Amino acid sequence: MQRKLIRIISLILMVVSFIAYIAKAPAFPIASENLLPWSTWFFIFALANIILWQSVVKLLSFALMVIWFYAFAASIVPETSTATVVITERTPEVFVEAGEAIFNGKGKCNTCHTLDPSAPKSRCPDLTDIGTHAATRQPGMTAKEYLIESTYEPHKFLVPGYSNIMPPVWKPPISLTELEIETVIAFLQSQGGEVDITEFKPPVDIGSAEAIVEEQPPLLTGDVERGKKVFVEGAKCIACHAVAGVEQPAGQTLDEGVEVVAAPELTDIAAVNSLRYIEESVLLPNAQIVSGYGSITVKTGGAIIQGTLVTQDNEEINVRVKDAAGNEEERAILLSDLDPEPIEELTDLTGKGYFWIQVTLADTGATISGDFVEETDESITLQVDGESQIVSKSNVKVQATLIDFDENVIVGELVSENEDEVTLIVDGEEQIIDTFDIDEGPTYSRAFGKRLVVTSPMPNNFPLLLSVSDMSDLLAYLASLTGATAATAAEEAEETAE
Amino acid sequence: MYLTKHLNMSQSKNRLYFLLALLAMYLLLTVATVFAQDATDTEYRPFPGIGSRNAAWIAAQLHLLFGSFILGVPMFAVVIEFVGMKTKDKRYDKMAQEFIKLCMGAFSTTALMGGVLVFILIWCYPKVMNKLSGIFGPSMIFYVILFFGETFTLYLYSYGWDRMQGRVSKMWHLFLGVLLNVFGTAIMFVSNAWLTYQTSPAIMGPKPAHEAIPLHDESGAFIGTLWQAINNYTWMPVNIHRLIGNIAFGGAIVGAYAAFRFLAAKTQEDRAHYDWMGYTGNFIALCGLIPLPFAGYWLGREIYMFNQTMGINMMGSLFSWLFIIQAVMIGVLFIGANYYLWSGMTRIAGGEVYARFRPYMIAIIVLSVAIWMTPRTLIVTPTELAAMGGPNHPLVGLFGLMTAKNTVVNLIILTTFLSFLFYRRSGKTPTVTWRKAGNIIIAVTFGLAVAAIVTIGIVGFKVNTDFRVNVLTPIQVLVALAVMIVVTVIDLIMYRKAMRSSEINWGQMTDRSQYVLILLAITFTSLMGLMGYARSGLREAWHIFGVMPDTSPDAHTPLLADAVNMIAVIIVIFFALVGFIFWLGLWGDKKKEGEPPVEAEASAGDD
Repeated sequence: MQRKLIRIISLILMVVSFIAYIAKAPAFPIASENLLPWSTWFFIFALANIILWQSVVKLLSFALMVIWFYAFAASIVPETSTATVVITERTPEVFVEAGEAIFNGKGKCNTCHTLDPSAPKSRCPDLTDIGTHAATRQPGMTAKEYLIESTYEPHKFLVPGYSNIMPPVWKPPISLTELEIETVIAFLQSQGGEVDITEFKPPVDIGSAEAIVEEQPPLLTGDVERGKKVFVEGAKCIACHAVAGVEQPAGQTLDEGVEVVAAPELTDIAAVNSLRYIEESVLLPNAQIVSGYGSITVKTGGAIIQGTLVTQDNEEINVRVKDAAGNEEERAILLSDLDPEPIEELTDLTGKGYFWIQVTLADTGATISGDFVEETDESITLQVDGESQIVSKSNVKVQATLIDFDENVIVGELVSENEDEVTLIVDGEEQIIDTFDIDEGPTYSRAFGKRLVVTSPMPNNFPLLLSVSDMSDLLAYLASLTGATAATAAEEAEETAE
Repeated sequence: MYLTKHLNMSQSKNRLYFLLALLAMYLLLTVATVFAQDATDTEYRPFPGIGSRNAAWIAAQLHLLFGSFILGVPMFAVVIEFVGMKTKDKRYDKMAQEFIKLCMGAFSTTALMGGVLVFILIWCYPKVMNKLSGIFGPSMIFYVILFFGETFTLYLYSYGWDRMQGRVSKMWHLFLGVLLNVFGTAIMFVSNAWLTYQTSPAIMGPKPAHEAIPLHDESGAFIGTLWQAINNYTWMPVNIHRLIGNIAFGGAIVGAYAAFRFLAAKTQEDRAHYDWMGYTGNFIALCGLIPLPFAGYWLGREIYMFNQTMGINMMGSLFSWLFIIQAVMIGVLFIGANYYLWSGMTRIAGGEVYARFRPYMIAIIVLSVAIWMTPRTLIVTPTELAAMGGPNHPLVGLFGLMTAKNTVVNLIILTTFLSFLFYRRSGKTPTVTWRKAGNIIIAVTFGLAVAAIVTIGIVGFKVNTDFRVNVLTPIQVLVALAVMIVVTVIDLIMYRKAMRSSEINWGQMTDRSQYVLILLAITFTSLMGLMGYARSGLREAWHIFGVMPDTSPDAHTPLLADAVNMIAVIIVIFFALVGFIFWLGLWGDKKKEGEPPVEAEASAGDD
C-alpha cells in the first residue's frame, strides 16, 4: 500500500513538474532560495517513475522524458527575442521587467553591452551600476538625462576607449518605441540606481518625417546575390569578415600587401546597426572603428610596434602583435612609455589622437607638459598636476629643422622666416639661412606629443577599388545580413528532416 | 449481404469513426463555401486564452502529424500486403490489416483537426485566408473532391479486407490500396501548394540562372496563374521531402505501437508477433530515413535559390542553432536504429560473430554525429577571438563546414547500411563457391567508397562553393548510393541459397530495444515539429513572404526555447490521441473476442 502511494505521488509530481517546466513557472523555492529549477525536478521524478513503475507508466515516463529532453536541449541555446513586450501598467517594477526583456531581446543591447564587470571587454561599455555611474559621465547631467541622451543620441558622448558604433535605438532596424525606450532606461536605472519613471520629452521626435527620411538608405538598389559575390570573390571581404553560412573559397589569394586580420563578424550586422552606419563603414572605413579591431602603430623606447588595438584604458593599451614567425601575442604598453613625437601644427589635436603634449613657452622659456584636454583656435588646455593650464598657440617656441645642399641637418628655434630667408637660433647663436641653400624643409615642431592613432585595417582606398554597381550590390548584401542570433553552422542548405 | 454485414456497423468503434468522418467532411464543406465569400475588412481576431498563433500552431501541427500518419501507414500497409501476397505469409496480411484499422480512427481525427484548423484560420486571420482563397479557390474545390475519393477508398480498402481475399480479389484490393495512396498523396500535394506559396511566392526562372520570378506586382496584387502559384519555388521539394518523411514516420509509429504491445504482451506468441512487427516497422522507417537527408538538401538548396537571405537565415543565422538541435535528433535516430539492429542480432544464433565490429561502428557513428553537430561559428569575446586567432576555431571550425558535414552524413548512412547487412547475414552461411571472393569484393567496395567519400570531403575544403555543391556533393551521394546498390546485389546473390544455421527467435528481444523503438518514434515526431517551426518561421514577419506582412501582435519569430515547449505540448497531445486510438482498437478487439464472429451473426440474421 505504502509503495503504491509512493508511486502515485511520484507520478503526480512528475506530471506537475513537466507542466511547470513547459509553462516556465518560477522555480520551486527551497529554504527561500530557488535551488532547483523545474527541469531538475522533472528529471528526478521521471527517473523515479521509470524505476518504481512497470509496464505502461514506466513507458509513459520514458516517453515524457524523451520529449522533455529535446525541449530542454533546445532551450539552452543562446538567442534573442524580437517579440514586442507588453507593458501592462506604469509602475517601476513593470517597467524594469519589460526593460530587461527588451535589453536582452528586441533592443539587442546585450549584443554589445555587458552587465558583468568581470566579463571580457565587449564592443560597448559594461553597464554594471550604470544607474549611479550615469550621473558622473557628463558634468551637469543627471543619470536619467544621460541615459536619455545615450539611447536617443548615442553619438553625442562617447565613453573614452569606445567608438561611435551604437545606432540610435529608435531607428530601424531596432526601432524601439518611445515607451520601450522608457522601459530600457528604467531597467538601466535599476542597475545600482533609483528608478524614476516620470514621463519625459524625448530629444528626438521619432515620428517626424525628417527622422524617417534620414534613415532611408541612399544606395540600396543593388542586387543581394551579386553583392554576395562581390563580398566573397570580388573584394574578398570574406578573408577577414566572417559571415555565418558563407565560407571563403579554397585557395583564394589576397592582393600583394594585403594580409588577413581579425575583423568584426558581420552575420547580423544589419540587425544591430543602421544602414547609414554600414554605408559609412564601407565608404569611409576609418570613420568609426569597432573596438578591438583597429590597427595601431606606436613608438616606445625607439621601437615601433604595429598591431591590433585590443583594449585601452587611461593608463595602458593592449596591442596584439605578430612576430616574424607569424605567432600572435598581446603586449601591454603603458601610455607613459610612448615616445613623444614632434607636432608640426597645433591644429586638430583631438582628431589627430593626441592625449599628452609638451610645449616650451616663448615668453618665459618654461617647458610645460600634461594631459591634453581641449583646444580652441587660439589656445590649448592641458591638465598639469591636476590643474588646467591654458597655453596660447602663439606663445610657444617653434623648432625648425632643415637640410642644406651639403646635407647638414640644422635644428634651431625659429625666430622669423620669409620668402628669402629663415632665421634660427642654433646653439644660442642667431643664424640666417638663405632659402636658396635649403634642400629639404624647413619642418616645424611647435610641441611634442603622444598620441594613439587607430585606423581601420581595411584599405583606405577601398571604395575606389570597386565599381559603383559593385559597391551598390555589396551594400545591398550587407543590408540583408539581419540574423537575430549570430551563431553557427553551414553556408548553404543542410540536410533537413521534416 | 456484403453491405448488410459491413454497413451494419455492429462494431461500435466503426460507427464512431464513420460519424466523426462525416462530421469532419461536413465541416470542410461548410468551410469551402466560406472561402468563396469575401471576408470582412477585419485583419485579425484574437483567439481566446492561448492567442491566435498558438491555436493555429497546435491545430496545424496536430493535423500534420495525423496527416503523416494516415499517409505513411497506408503506404506501409500496401507494401506489407504485397509482401504477404508474394510470400504467402499470412502474418504480413494480418499486420497490414491491423494498421489500416488503426488508420480509420486516425483518419477521422485528421479530418477533425483539419476542420478545426480551417475554422481557426478563417476566424483569426480572415484577410490572409481571403487572399489565399482568392488565389487557390479552385484547388480547394479539387481538394474536397480528393478528400471524398480518399475517404471512400479507405472505407472500401478497410471493410473489404476480409472479403477480398484470393488471387484476383487480392489484386483488386491491392489496387484499392494503391489508389488510396494516390488520393492521399494528391491531397498532400494540393495542401502543400498553399503553405509553400506563403514561403516562396515566386516561380523559377529559365535555366541556368533559375532566378525567382515574383507572382505579385509592387502593390501586392497577384499577377500569376493558379498553376504558377501551385508550382512555386519550394512546392516540389516539400512534396518529396514530406512523402519520404511520411514513410519513415509511418514506419516509426508502427514500430512504437509494436514495442508497446511487445512490452504489454502476456504470451510468447504475442511477443514474437510484435517483435517481428517492430522489426518491420523499423526497417521501413530506416528505408525512409536514409534518403531523407538528400531530399532535405534539395529543399534547402531551393530555399537558397529562391531567396539568399532566407537561406542564410535558415542555416547561418536565425535558425542556425535549430539545425544543431536537428543534428542531435538525427544523431539519436541513427544511433537508435543501429542499436536496434545490433540488439536484433542477439535473437539469431550466429549473429554474435559480427559483434567484434560493433565498437568501431559505434565510434564512427558517434564521431560523425559529433562533427555533424559542430557549429561553424559562435558568438565570441575579443579574448576568445584572440585565443582562436580568428572567428573560427583552427581545427574544430573546419567541422562546421558543409563539406565535413556531408562527409559524415554519408559515413553514418554507410555504417547503418553495414549494420543492416550484418543483421541480414546473421545465422546464415553462404554456399556459393565464390563466397570468399564475394566478401573481399564487398570489403574492398566499402573501403574504396569510404576513402572516396573522405577524399572528396577533404578536397571540398579547397574548392569553391559552387563546384562543391553542384559537383562534389552529388558525387559523394552517388558513391554512397552506388555502394549500397552494388553490395546489396552481390549479397543477395551470395545468400540466395545460403544455409540457415538457425532461425530468428522472434520475441527474444530485450525490453531496452523496445524502448529504443519508442525513442525513435518520439524523435521523429519531435523532428517534424521542429522542422515545421523552421519552415513556417522562415517567413519571419510575413504571412506571404515579401507580399503580405504580418501586422498582428504575433509578428515575430518565437524563440527556439519557446517553440520547443510548444512542440512538446503538441507531441504530448498527439501521443495521447494516438494512444487513445490504439486503445480504442484494442478495446474493440477485446469486445469482439467475447462475441460471435460477424459472419456467423450476419448469417444467422439472414436465415
